[in-house]
Amino acid sequence: MSAAEIGNPVQPVEPGLRAEHRDSLLAVRGLRKTYTTGGGGLLGGERRTVRAVDGVSFDVARGETFGLVGESGCGKSTVARCVLHLINPTEGEIRFDGVDLGSLGHDELRKLRRRMQIVFQDPFTSLDPRMTAYSIVDEPLGIHGVHDREERERRVEEMLDLVGITPEQMDRRPFAFSGGQRQRIGLARALVLNPDLVVLDEPVSALDVSIQAQVLNLLRDLQARLGLTYLFIVHDLTIAEYFCDRLAVLYLGAVMELGDRETLFRAPLHPYTNALLSAVPLPDPRRERRRKRIIIKGEASPQSGAVQGCRFRPRCPVGQDRDICRQSEPPLQEKAPGHWAACHFAGELPTGWEAGAEKS
Amino acid sequence: MNTPVEQPTSDDAVLRVQHMRTEFVGDQGVVAAVRDVGMTVNRAEKVGIVGESGSGKSALALSILGLIEPPGRIVSGSVWLNGRDIPFRDDREMRRIRGKEISLIFQDPMSSLDPVKNIGDQIIEGIVWHQQGVSRRQARKQAVELLQDVEIPNAERRLHDYPHQYSGGMRQRIMIAIALANEPSVIIADEPTTALDVLTQAQVLDVLQRLVTERQVAVILITHNLGIVAEFCDKVQVMYAGRFVEQSMVDEIFYRPTHPYTEALLESVPRPDRLERGILPSIPGSPPNLARLPAGCSFEPRCSVGHGKQICKEQVPVSLTVGSPMRPVVAECHFARERFEHSAQHVEGAPV
Amino acid sequence: MLRTVINKLVGSVAAIFGASIISFVFLRVLPGNPARLIVGPLAPASSLLSVEKQMGLDQPVIVQYGRYMTSFLRGDWGFSYGAGVPVTTEMASRLPASLELGFYAFLLAFVAAVICALLATYRYRPVTDGVVRGTAFFGLSVPPFWFGLLALLLFFATWGILPGPEGRLSTSTTPPPSITHFYTIDALLHGQLSTFVDAVRHLILPAITLGLAPFSYLVRLLRANLLDVSREPFIIVVRSKGIGRFLAFARHALPNAFLPTLTAAGLVLAQLLSGSVLVEKVFNWPGVGALVTDSILRQDNAIVQTFILLSATAYVVVNLVVDILYGVIDPRVRIS
Repeated sequence: MSAAEIGNPVQPVEPGLRAEHRDSLLAVRGLRKTYTTGGGGLLGGERRTVRAVDGVSFDVARGETFGLVGESGCGKSTVARCVLHLINPTEGEIRFDGVDLGSLGHDELRKLRRRMQIVFQDPFTSLDPRMTAYSIVDEPLGIHGVHDREERERRVEEMLDLVGITPEQMDRRPFAFSGGQRQRIGLARALVLNPDLVVLDEPVSALDVSIQAQVLNLLRDLQARLGLTYLFIVHDLTIAEYFCDRLAVLYLGAVMELGDRETLFRAPLHPYTNALLSAVPLPDPRRERRRKRIIIKGEASPQSGAVQGCRFRPRCPVGQDRDICRQSEPPLQEKAPGHWAACHFAGELPTGWEAGAEKS
Repeated sequence: MNTPVEQPTSDDAVLRVQHMRTEFVGDQGVVAAVRDVGMTVNRAEKVGIVGESGSGKSALALSILGLIEPPGRIVSGSVWLNGRDIPFRDDREMRRIRGKEISLIFQDPMSSLDPVKNIGDQIIEGIVWHQQGVSRRQARKQAVELLQDVEIPNAERRLHDYPHQYSGGMRQRIMIAIALANEPSVIIADEPTTALDVLTQAQVLDVLQRLVTERQVAVILITHNLGIVAEFCDKVQVMYAGRFVEQSMVDEIFYRPTHPYTEALLESVPRPDRLERGILPSIPGSPPNLARLPAGCSFEPRCSVGHGKQICKEQVPVSLTVGSPMRPVVAECHFARERFEHSAQHVEGAPV
Repeated sequence: MLRTVINKLVGSVAAIFGASIISFVFLRVLPGNPARLIVGPLAPASSLLSVEKQMGLDQPVIVQYGRYMTSFLRGDWGFSYGAGVPVTTEMASRLPASLELGFYAFLLAFVAAVICALLATYRYRPVTDGVVRGTAFFGLSVPPFWFGLLALLLFFATWGILPGPEGRLSTSTTPPPSITHFYTIDALLHGQLSTFVDAVRHLILPAITLGLAPFSYLVRLLRANLLDVSREPFIIVVRSKGIGRFLAFARHALPNAFLPTLTAAGLVLAQLLSGSVLVEKVFNWPGVGALVTDSILRQDNAIVQTFILLSATAYVVVNLVVDILYGVIDPRVRIS
C-alpha cells in the first residue's frame, strides 16, 4: 500500500472536499492557533496577534509515520501540542480515531489521552531527576488507573526491556544514564500505556550522531512490533527523509507542501521545499563541490495581522516579483495524486536533492 | 574533480600544534580531555575537526587559544603560529595574539554576545585593543565595514542595536565580523552553525566561505555534521576520546575511510541522496568515559573490526601513515595498513 | 518607556493605599480599646465614651479611615497618646536615627558583599570561596541580637575599643545642628570632626549587626550569579578578542551578574530603612523600631499606623526606583 493511497489532506478552504478516509487515525482540519502579545498594564501597550499556526490540515493514517518539517518558528511544535490538546487550538478540528477532541469534556479527554503520547526533544530536562528509571515508566500507569501491582510490574519491566534498559539499571536515576539511554526511558514512559499515536518532538536532535542511529532504529523496530502511528516533528531533513512515510513542510504556520517522502524529496513542487533541500549539505564532497546551492536571502519572520499574497513570496526565488504571488495566497492544491502544494508556480524549478547539481 | 585539494606542504603552514594535552579535575579525578594531540594548518586552508560530544574538540580549540580556565589545565604542548612558537600558556602574552592572529567563533549565537552591550561596542572592543592609535571613530568606521562585509543591512544604524534585537543568523554573522576584525591568519569556528536553521546555516556558511577566500584566512571548523565537513573543508581530523584517530584530505575521509570509527560514523548518518532505508548501521555502546578509558585502543569496545581482538584490547595503537606522500592518511588503528590497502582495491572502479 | 513608568507609578500608589486600608482595618479589629488605655482601667463609662467620641472611635470604620487619610495627607499624622506628643514630633526625632543606621548597614552589607563575591569568584580560588560561603552561612543562621550582644561583650566590655549601648552619641557629645538629621553628615557639614568620629564609632557595631544577614543574603546571590555569568560563552568570546581576564570580568561579567541582584538589594534596603526592633533594643538606639514595639504594646494606634504606612511607602518607592533603574541599565527591558 503506497502512502499516497492512505490518507489525504483536505483543503482548509473547502473542508469536506474529500470524505474522511476510513483508515485515518488522526485528522487535523483548518487548525489555527494565534497568540496575542502586549496590551498588558493599566494603560495598555501595542497589541499584536501572532499566527503561530494558520490553517493547517492533514491526515495521519494508522501505522504510518507522518513528518512535520520546517524551520524554527514554522509552527510544527505548536501543531503537535494542539493535536494532543496540551494547548487549546484557536480554531479548527482535531479528530482522533473519529472523535472530535474539541467536543470532549475534561475526563473524556483524559481517557483518550492514554492513547496519545509524546516524547520530548531534550532527554536531559524531560525526566524528573529524583525518580528512578522504573518509577518514571511506572508513573503513567498510576495516573491512568492501572492498579494491579503485578500487571504494572510486568508492563514496566517489559517496556524497559523493550527499549534496552537492563534490570540492574532500572533503579538508577536519570543522571546515571547517557543521553541516548534517557531518550529510551522517555520512550518507554510514552509506550507503557500502549498508545496508538506517539508524537515524537525532535526525539534525536539532542543526541550524538552515533546515538541518533540507535534511537531511530529502535523507533522503527517498536513501530513494527507494536503497530504504532508516529507524528514526527523534525527540523533535520536528512532524518525526516529517512524516517517518515509522508511529510508536510510548514512555513510560518501553513503547509507549503505535502506528499510521500519519495515524491517530496525527489520531485518537490514548492520553491521553499526546494530551497530547504538545496541548503542541506550532503556527506559527499565531490557532489558538494559540483553543486550550486540556492541561497535564499532573509529570514522567516512571523507577521502580524493579515498576510496578503503568498507568505513565502518575500524570499521566494520564483515568485518574488510576480504580481499574482503578491496579490493572492496560493491554496494548497493536489497537483498530483497525493502530492499537494501551495504555490502558483508549483514545480517550476529544478528540484530535489539534485537541485542545481549540474548547473556549474 | 573541479576544485583541487590542497596539499599539506609545511612551508605553507600557519599553525602547528604539537603534543597538546589538557586535563580537567572533576568528581571522577583527573580527566584528560585532549591527549597529546598535534595538527598542522596551512595558509587559507579549511580544516574540519569532527567528533561527538565529549571527544575533546572544544577543549582543543580553547587550549590552542590558551583559554582553559581552572580547574582545567594545559599539561603540555606547543603552538607555532605565523612562523614562531607562541607562549600560549602565558595569559599576559596571549592578550596580544588572541583576536589578532588567531580568533574564535563560538557555537551558540544566543549566548556568545554580551546581552547588555550594543554590538558596535562589542566589535570595537577588539579593534581598539589591538590597533594602536586607532580612535573610536575610526574603529566605528571599521566596524561598519565589517558588518557590511558579513551582509548585515543598514550596518551604520544597527551598530547601536543590542544582541537581542538580532536573529540567530544575524548574531552569527556578527560573531564572524568580530573574529575577522583584526585580520587574523587563523579562525577557529566551534560548531558555528549548529544552532541555526538549515537555510540560515547555508547563508552563514556562504558568508564564511567567501570571506575565507577573499582574505586568505585559515579556518579550523569544529563540527559533528559530516555534510558541512564535506561541503566546507579541505582536510579532516576525526577526534575520538581526546585523540585524532584519523587525519586526511576530505575525499579520503568520505570515500575510503581508514579508521573503523570514521567508517562507522559515516554509515550511521541517513543519506538523503540514497532512498533505500534499511536499518541504519549504528555504533553500539556510548562514547567512552574519559576517566576510565580502556587499556588498549579506546574505540575497541565499540569497534566492528577490533572488538575482542587481543592486540586492540592490550595495545594503544600508534599513528600509522598510509597513502601516498602527497595525500597521506594518518590513522591510529592496528589495522590501518590492511584497511587502507583493501579500500584501495575497493575504490579503484568507483568514478572519481 | 514613559508609559511603563506611569503604569508603575499608578501601581505603586495603589499598593500604598492597599497597605493603608489593610493595616487600618486590622488595627481596628484587634481586641483592646485605645480609649480605655487613655482614661485608665477604673474610669467610668461616661468618660470612656467621651474620649471615644473625641478620638472618633464611635464612627464607622470607613469614616474613621477617610478622616485619617485626609489628615494624614495634610501632614497631620495624629496624636500619640503614649508619648503625649503629635506623631510627627515623635517620628521626627526617631525616624532619622533608624534611617541613618539602616543606610549605613546597607552600605556596609552591599559593599562587603560585592567585594567578597568578587574575591570568591574571580579566577578559581576554592579556599577563599569556602571562607566566603562559610561566612554567609554563619551570617544567615546567627540571630542578630545574639551577635550584637557578643560584639558588645568583646569590643566594649572586654577590649573597650568601641562605645557601649548608649545610642547615637556619647553622653558628653551634643548633637550637631540639624540639616539632614544624619549625625555623621550634619557633623561634617559643620566641621565638627570630633562629633563625626563619635557618631561613626557609635554606628560601627549596630551597623555590622544589622547588616550581617543582608550581607550574607546578597553575597550568596551575587556569588551564584557571577559564577553563572563567568561560565557564559560570551566571556570566552570576549577573552578570545584579546581582552584580559580582569577587564573581561569587570566590563562584562560584573554588569550581567549585577542586574539580577538589583531587586534583592532594593528589598534589603527597604527592610533596613524600616528599622529593627531587636538591634535597636540591644544598642539602645533611639529609632522607630523600639518605638513601634512599645506603641503596639500600648495600643498607640496612631504611631503604629504611621509606621506601617511609612514602611509600605519605603518598600514601594525602592521597588519603583529599582524597576526604573532596570529600564535604564538593561537594554532588554529598555527596548522591548
